[in-house]
Amino acid sequence: MSNVLLVTGVSPQAGILSTAVQRLRETGAQVYLVGALNQDEMAEDLRLDGVCALPTDIAKDSPTRALARQVPGERVWSRIRREPWAREQARTADVLVALDAHAVYTVWRFAQRNRSADARYGIQAAVQALTDRKARHGAGPLQRLANGIPSTALVRQSVNRLISGAPRAAVNAVTARPIMRSKAGTQLWLTALKAPKMPDSVRTKVARQVAKGMAWADRPDGEAMVLTATASKLRKPAARARMLGEAASRELKAGVPPRDLDGAVEALLKVADQRHRADENVAAADLLNRAMTLAFDRVLHIDQLTSPLAEDPEGFIAPFRRSLAATTVASPRGRLQPAAPPPTDRPLRLLIATSANDNFLKLIRSYYDAHPGVEVRFVDLAANAALKSVTWASKPMLEHRLSADSTAYGDKAEERLRPYLDWADTVFVDWCVAPAALFTMVDPGTTRIIVRLHSYEALSRWPYMVDFSRIDDLVFVADHIRDLTTTLVPYLKGPDGPRMHVLDNAMDLRGFQIDKPAEARFQLGMVGISQVAKDPRWAIEVLRLLRKHDERYRLLLVGGDMNPNVSVASREYLEAFNRDVREFEADGAVRRLGPTNEVPKMLSDIGVIISSSVREGCHCGLMEGAASGAVPVVRDWPFFAGRPNSARTLYPDGWVIGSPEEAVERILATTATEEAWRAAGRDASAYALREWDWSVVQHHFDRLLLES
Amino acid sequence: MTPSLDTSHSAANGRPAAGRGRRPHLIYLAIGFPPAAKSCAYRMRETANQFRRIGWDVTVVTITAASWERDSGLDYSLLDQVDPEIKVVELPLAREDLETDIRQFSEERALRPAKWLTNLRKREKRIFPEPVFGSWRGALERAVLDVHRQHPADLLLASCVPYVNLAAAWKLWELHGVPYAVDFRDGWSIDVVNGGQAFTPDSEAGLWERRILDHCQSLWVVNDPIADHYRARYPHVADRVHVVRNGYDRDSVPAIRPRQPDPEAGLTFGYLGTVNYTTHQLGVVLDAWREARKQEPLLRNARFEIRGHIGAGANREANGLTELIREAAADGVSFGGPVRKAEVAETYGGWDALVLILIGGRYVTSGKVYEYMATGLPIVSVHEVDHDASRVLDGHPLWTGACGLDELRLVESFRAAARMVVEATEEQRDGVRHHADPFTREILMRNAVAQLAAHALAEPHDLPVNGAVVQPSAASSTMEQDERSGGVRA
Repeated sequence: MSNVLLVTGVSPQAGILSTAVQRLRETGAQVYLVGALNQDEMAEDLRLDGVCALPTDIAKDSPTRALARQVPGERVWSRIRREPWAREQARTADVLVALDAHAVYTVWRFAQRNRSADARYGIQAAVQALTDRKARHGAGPLQRLANGIPSTALVRQSVNRLISGAPRAAVNAVTARPIMRSKAGTQLWLTALKAPKMPDSVRTKVARQVAKGMAWADRPDGEAMVLTATASKLRKPAARARMLGEAASRELKAGVPPRDLDGAVEALLKVADQRHRADENVAAADLLNRAMTLAFDRVLHIDQLTSPLAEDPEGFIAPFRRSLAATTVASPRGRLQPAAPPPTDRPLRLLIATSANDNFLKLIRSYYDAHPGVEVRFVDLAANAALKSVTWASKPMLEHRLSADSTAYGDKAEERLRPYLDWADTVFVDWCVAPAALFTMVDPGTTRIIVRLHSYEALSRWPYMVDFSRIDDLVFVADHIRDLTTTLVPYLKGPDGPRMHVLDNAMDLRGFQIDKPAEARFQLGMVGISQVAKDPRWAIEVLRLLRKHDERYRLLLVGGDMNPNVSVASREYLEAFNRDVREFEADGAVRRLGPTNEVPKMLSDIGVIISSSVREGCHCGLMEGAASGAVPVVRDWPFFAGRPNSARTLYPDGWVIGSPEEAVERILATTATEEAWRAAGRDASAYALREWDWSVVQHHFDRLLLES
Repeated sequence: MTPSLDTSHSAANGRPAAGRGRRPHLIYLAIGFPPAAKSCAYRMRETANQFRRIGWDVTVVTITAASWERDSGLDYSLLDQVDPEIKVVELPLAREDLETDIRQFSEERALRPAKWLTNLRKREKRIFPEPVFGSWRGALERAVLDVHRQHPADLLLASCVPYVNLAAAWKLWELHGVPYAVDFRDGWSIDVVNGGQAFTPDSEAGLWERRILDHCQSLWVVNDPIADHYRARYPHVADRVHVVRNGYDRDSVPAIRPRQPDPEAGLTFGYLGTVNYTTHQLGVVLDAWREARKQEPLLRNARFEIRGHIGAGANREANGLTELIREAAADGVSFGGPVRKAEVAETYGGWDALVLILIGGRYVTSGKVYEYMATGLPIVSVHEVDHDASRVLDGHPLWTGACGLDELRLVESFRAAARMVVEATEEQRDGVRHHADPFTREILMRNAVAQLAAHALAEPHDLPVNGAVVQPSAASSTMEQDERSGGVRA
C-alpha cells in the first residue's frame, strides 16, 4: 500500500479535495494532508487517513519582517516545516502531492529529503504516479535508482553531464544526499572540480551546485571543501578570493570556524587593494566588507570560549594593517575645528545617541533630564527611518571612506546628521559600533563627540571603521577593555588620539539591598547564562567540588538559556552543559530560574554570587550581586588573565580566584558560619555601593560632560 | 532532438519531382495527431488519410505520445483509422509549463512559479514569437530537414497550432525549396475568441505571418469569417485562401436511432467536448438547467451528463469547473470524464438532447457543431448569437437558437429542447441528418487535399513570389537562397 501526502498552500475547494482523495484511495493508497484547510467547509464524506490542518492564510503576507520578505511558497514551507507530524509523513510518503501553486515549494523541499518519493503537482499526476509505482514495483536495479542511491558509475557519468550544462533536475539527482555523504561521491566531485582546462565560469557554476548538494546533505565541511578546492583552480584572483570567502562564509553560517579563514581574508584584502588602486571603489568596498564580515564573525569571537583576536590581537589584525584599503578606511581625517568648551550662558545641549540598545543609558538619561545645567535630547538611530537606513550601511560606509569621502551616501549621511550636530554641544554615542562610525563620517564642526565602548565592540569590525580623530573622548567601562582596544587601534595611544576615560556603568545598586534569609548562605548564584562566554559549566564544576564537602550547596541560574543555533560551539556547549546539570537538577542542586525582570528579588536568595565568564567588560550581574550582600567569587577571566589589567584589577583583593578549587576554598571560608558569610557579604555590598553606585559614578559623568 | 528515421529511400539533395516512378511525399507537421486526445486530431487524421488515398507517402511529424499525458491526454482508439502506411515521427518535445513532476522543477520554479512562467514565456518568444511553443523551433526545423534528407518531400503541410511549425516549413523552403501549405484552422493574426487582430502587421509575429503567406501554396481556415480576415489583410494571397470546414466523422454518430425518450425515467442531456469555457459560463448554464428542471415537467427527472477533458497539467480534472459540476450533482448533473473516439457514437446514442457550449463568436466554429448536427438530436446552444456555429445550425429544425448567456432564455431553450425530444418526428430527425451530410469530414477533406496535391505537383510552378516564378525543384530554382530567406532568419 502506498502513502500519499497532499500539501495545500491555500484551502482547497471541498469538491476538488473530496474527488481527489477519493481517486487516490481508489488506487489503494492511504491519503494524508497537511496545509491550509478550512475544515468547516470540507465535505462530510472526505476520508483522509490523517490530517494536519493549518490556518487558511499561511501563504499570505505576514506582519513579521522575516516572513514579509518571503514569497507565498516560502511562507507555506516555513509554516509546514514546523509541524513534526508533517515532517514525519513527508519522510515516509511514497508520493508527495502539491495541490496548488503555493504548495509546490513545500513538496519540492520535502522531496529533497525523501529521495525515493514521487513528487507531483496535481491530482491526475499523482494518480498516474501511483499507477506507475505499481508497474515498476520490484524493478531491481531500477528500484535502487529510485531510492536515490545511484551507483558510482552513474555518478561518474553524471559529473560529465553536469559539467556540460545539464538541466537542474540532473544536477539535483547527482548531488543527492547519499552521494554527498559518501566518500566516493565526495572524492568524485573533488576530482571533477579540479579537472584541468575548465573555464572559471563553468568551474564556479558546478562548484556552487555541488556545494548546494553538500548543504542538503548537512555537510558544511563538504561545502567548504568543495569551494576551497575549486578556488585553488580558478585563474582570476577576484573569483578565487570570492570563492574562498564563500567557503569560509558557509562554514561560519553553519557555526563552525573556517578551516582557512586567514587565506580567505588575505585573498579578499589583496583583491580589495587592487581594486582600490584602480579606483574601483565599489568593488573594493564589497571585497573589504566581505573580509571584515568573515574576520569578525561572532562564531569566532563571541560564541566560543576563546577568540583568536583575544589570544593574539596584533597577529589577528595584522592583515588589515597591511591592507591599503583597510588602512585607507581607518586613516584619520581629523576635524577642522576643535570642540567648543561647554557653554556657560545656557544649559549644555546633550544629544544621547544609540541604536536600539539603551540598556545602560536609562539612569544617565533620567539624571540629566532633571539636571538644570543640561538640555537632553535622545535619538535612537534604529527607531528613526531616515537615520536607520544610513547607520548600519557598512558597505556604503567603506566605499565612502575609500572614495576620499565623496559619495552620494556620504552626502545623505551628512544631510541627515547635520541638524543634530548643529543643535548639540555634546554628542554621547553609546556603544562603539555603527552609530559611532556614522557620527565620525562627517566633520562634527565644534560639537564635542564622546563615544562609550563597553566590551564586545573590541571584538568587532567597528573599531576599524570609526574615525577616532573625530572623537574627543572615548569612554571605557574597564581598564582591560581599554588595553585591548588600544592594542587593536594603536592610533588611540598616539598624540592625536582622543582622551580616554574609564567610567563605571551607571547602576542603581541601592535597590539590590534586600535582606537575605539564612538559607541563602548555601545558595550560589549566577545572573546571565545566555552566552557561551558566561561559561556556566565552570560554575557547575565549582558546585560539584563544593558538594563533595557539603551537599547543602546549591546553584541558582538566573536568565534564559543560550541559543543553540547561533554556532556549533554554542550547540555543543549547551548539550554538554545540559549533561552536566541533569543529575544536579534531578536532585534540586541546580535550578534554572529563567529570564526575569525581578533580579533584586532573585538575588535576595543568593548567598554567593559567581562570575564564571571567560571575558567581561565589568559584569554588572556580579556587581549587583555584591551590592545585594552576596559573597562575590570571580573567575580570573581567561581572556584577560595575566595582563596588566584584568578582573584582578577591576575587583578588590580576594574576590578573584584562578581555578574552581580556589573558588571552593573561598566559598567554604566565607560561608563557614552565618556570621562570617554575612560579614563578607556586608563588606562586598559596602564596596560595591561605595565604588559603583550611581550616586558615586554620576560625579564622574558630571566631570566628563560638564567640565571643560 | 530528432530521432533517427529508418526510411529506406535513398537520400537526395534538393527536391526531385514526383511522377518519375516515385510516389509524392508529404511532410505533415501535425502536432496533435492521434493518439493525442485533441479535437484537432480528427482533422489531422483525415488529412493524412486523404493524402494516402491519392497515393502520396505521408510522414507525420508530431510530438511523443507521453507529452500528451500531461496535456489533454491520449486516446489510442483514434489510431484505429489511421492509414497504417503513414509514417509518424514523434519528437521528444513537451510543454515545460505543464510538467507535473516536481523533481524536474528548479528551486526557482518551485519557489516563484509565476515569475518562472513569465521568464519561460519570454525565452520562448525570443526564439519564435509564440509564447508557449517557441522553443520547439530548433527541433522542428531539424526534424523536417532530416525527414527530407532521408525521403525528399514534394510538399510540406503545417497545421497550426503551434505556429512554430511555420518556422520549420520556412526552413525547408529556404534550404531546399520544398513548397508548403498552411492549415491555419483558426488563423493566427485574428483573435477568434474576442474578435479583432491578435497582433499588428509590423510585430514580429506579423512579419512572420506575412512572409509565410507570401510564399505558401495554400492557406486553409475553418470558416468564412476567418477567410475574410485573411483575404482583407493579405489581398495578394486572397485566391490561395480556402475554407476547409472541420466537418464530422460518420462513425461518430449513431447509425440508427437507438433510444426512445422516456421523460418519466428522465431525459438525458449531454455535452461532449473540451470543457474550456469559464466558470461563469458554466455557472449560467447550470443555473438555467436548475430553473428549467423546476419549471418543465418533462425535465423533472432529467440528467445532464458532461463528458470530455477538463484542464491540463496540474489542474487536470481538478479546478473550479469540476467543483461547479460536483455542486450541481443534486440537480442531475454529472461529469463522466473523456470519451474515447471509438465510444463517441455510443455516447451520443445514450442521450436525448445535446448542449452546445462554445466560447468566442463569429470567428469560432468548433468541430463539435457538425457532429452535434449529424446526430439528429435537439440542440441547446450556449454561445454568442453572432457565432459561426449559428450560421452552421441556421435552418436546423431541432435547434433552440442562440441567446448568448441570457439565463432566462436559456431556461426556455432547455424547456424547448425537452419538448422537441418528445415531439420530434423521425422525418424531422432524418432531415437534420441529411442537412449534415455535406459536412462529413471525409468529403470536405477529400476535396481540399485533392486540390492542394494537384497544385503542389503542377510543374513548372506558377506561384508568384516577389514577382518571380518559383521552380518547385531546388536544383532548378531561379531564386538565390538569400533572396528566398527574405530576412526571416529570426
